[in-house]
Amino acid sequence: MAERVPIAAGDSPNAATFGALYERTFPKVYAYVASMLRDRSAAEDVTAQAYERAYRKRRSYRPARGTAEAWIFGIARNAALDELRRRKRRAELPAEPEPEDEAALAVEDHAEHSVRRAAVRAAIADLEGTERDMVALKFTGGLSNAEIARVLRTSESNVGTRLHRTITKLREACHDRA
Amino acid sequence: MTELDAVVERDLRVIDQTIDRGQATAPDPAQHELEEMVLALGAEAPEPDPAFAAELGERVVAGFPRRRVPHPSLPAWLAPRRPSLIALAGVASVVAAVVGVASLSTGPGGDEMSSLGSNSESSPALSEDSSGAAGAGPRGVAPPSGPSRGFAPGARTRRIERSASLALAAPEDRLERVADEVVAVTDRLDGFVLRSSVSTGEEGASFGNFELRVPARRLQDALAQLSKLGDVRTRTQAGQDITRRFVSVGDRLEGARAQKASLLSRLEEADSDTEAESIRRRLDLTSAEINGLRGQLRQLRLRSNYASVSVTLERANDGERTGGDGLGGALGDGVRSLSDSIELMVRLLGVLLVPGALAGVIWLAAQSARRRRREATLG
Repeated sequence: MAERVPIAAGDSPNAATFGALYERTFPKVYAYVASMLRDRSAAEDVTAQAYERAYRKRRSYRPARGTAEAWIFGIARNAALDELRRRKRRAELPAEPEPEDEAALAVEDHAEHSVRRAAVRAAIADLEGTERDMVALKFTGGLSNAEIARVLRTSESNVGTRLHRTITKLREACHDRA
Repeated sequence: MTELDAVVERDLRVIDQTIDRGQATAPDPAQHELEEMVLALGAEAPEPDPAFAAELGERVVAGFPRRRVPHPSLPAWLAPRRPSLIALAGVASVVAAVVGVASLSTGPGGDEMSSLGSNSESSPALSEDSSGAAGAGPRGVAPPSGPSRGFAPGARTRRIERSASLALAAPEDRLERVADEVVAVTDRLDGFVLRSSVSTGEEGASFGNFELRVPARRLQDALAQLSKLGDVRTRTQAGQDITRRFVSVGDRLEGARAQKASLLSRLEEADSDTEAESIRRRLDLTSAEINGLRGQLRQLRLRSNYASVSVTLERANDGERTGGDGLGGALGDGVRSLSDSIELMVRLLGVLLVPGALAGVIWLAAQSARRRRREATLG
C-alpha cells in the first residue's frame, strides 16, 4: 500500500508544503484553466476552487500515482470541465474576448511575428475540445507527456501520438492562413 | 520502429527541448518552424491578475478558512446538504444488515426463539384473558372480576389451565442423575409425577419423558429449577382460560341440587305409590347428574390448581454446550459461545456483502458516468 504523503515524498501535511506547490504551479494552472474556459472571471473562480479542493484533499495525494503537478492539474481540469458543463446546461454564453495585451502590442513591432501569433490563435480556436485540452496541458500548463497521461488517464505513448497529430494539424492550419 | 514513428519521436523531442530552452535554435527550417510554433503556443498562456494571485495566496497561507453560506430561510446547521453516495450506501447497508439479522433470528435458531417467546404472557390462549389472568402473573393469583366483565359474569376468580413443556439435554453420563433430579424437584414443589418413561436408545433418541403436575402457583419455580438440570433446548408455556366452563358446570350442579331438593319435597307429599315411584326415578337421574357434574367440577379445579409440565430429556451430542458443572462444562460453554459468535459474524458478513457490493458497483458506475459527462463536455 502506498504511503500517504501530502505533496511530495518526505513532506508533512501542512499549509507550508501546500504553499510551495501553490507557488510552483499557480500561474500554469491559472493559464491552463483560462485557456479552457476562455473567460478570466470564471477562470479565477475555478482556479481558486481547484486549489481549495486540493488543499482539503491533500492527504489523499499519493506520489506513486504521479507527480504533484499532475495531481493538481487533474483537479483543476475536473473543475474546469464541470464549469464548462454548467455553462452548457445554462445556455451557450459567448466567451469573453481576451483583452489585448497592450504592452505586448507596443513592443510587437515585427509584423511577421504578429501575423504568426494571430494565425496560431485562430488555429487553436479551430481545434476540437480534446485537442485544445491537450495543447493547453502541454504548452500552457507545461506538463510532461507522462504527467498529461496521468491527468487524462491514458498512456504516455497515446499522449505523444495525439500531441503530434494536433501539432501537425496546427502547423497545417497556420500554413493555410499564411 | 517505422519512419513515421521516428518522425513523431523526433518532433516530440524538439517540442520538449524548445519548451526547456525557451528559444528556437534548430538550423533545419522545418524543425525551426516547429520550434517557433511551440514558442507561440507557450506565449498564448494567459497571465493571472496580480490582485487575484495575491488574494488566493493569502487564502492558501491561511489554510482556506471555510466560508459558510447561510441558507436564506434556515439556520446554518439546518441548511440542506447534498448527501454523499457513500453515506447513502452506508445507510442502505446498515438497514439491510438490521433486516437481515432480524430475519436470521427466525433461521436455524428460530425454533428455540419462538418457543421461548410463547410464554404465558404472549400465548394466544392467554391473550383472550384480558380481564386479569395474564396480568395476575404465572403464579395464578387472579384478581377479582367484576360482575359485568368477561365471558363468565359472576365468577369471582379466573380459572386458568396452565401447561409448559421443556426439552433438556445432558451428557450421557449424567442422564440418570438428571432424571432423578426431575422427580426430586417435582416432589419438593408439592407436585407429582403423572407418567414417566426412561429408556436408553440410539444416539439422539429421547432418553426420558415425564408428565408432571405441579401447583400452578409454583410453575415458574418448577421451570426455573428444571432448567438448571441441563441444556434447555426448547421451553414453551401456554395458558387457557377455563373460567366459563367452570362457572357453567357449577351453575348446572347448583340447579341439579335444587331440583333434587324439590323432588325430595314432592316425594314426601306424594299421594300415591305411582307418583312416588315416578319421583324416585327422577331423583335417581338427578343424583346421577349431580355426581357427574361434581366429577367435572373436580377435574376442572384440578386442571386449574395444578399445571401440567411435560419434560423431555435427551442426550447431548459431543462438544455441545451442556450446562454441566466444573471446568469441562465451562470450557464447553466457552467454545460454544465462541463458535456462536463466529457464526453470527459470518452471517452478518454475508448479509452485508450484497448491499456492500451493490453500493460499490453503484459508486463505480456513478464515478464512471461523471467522468464520461466531463469528457463529453470537450467533445
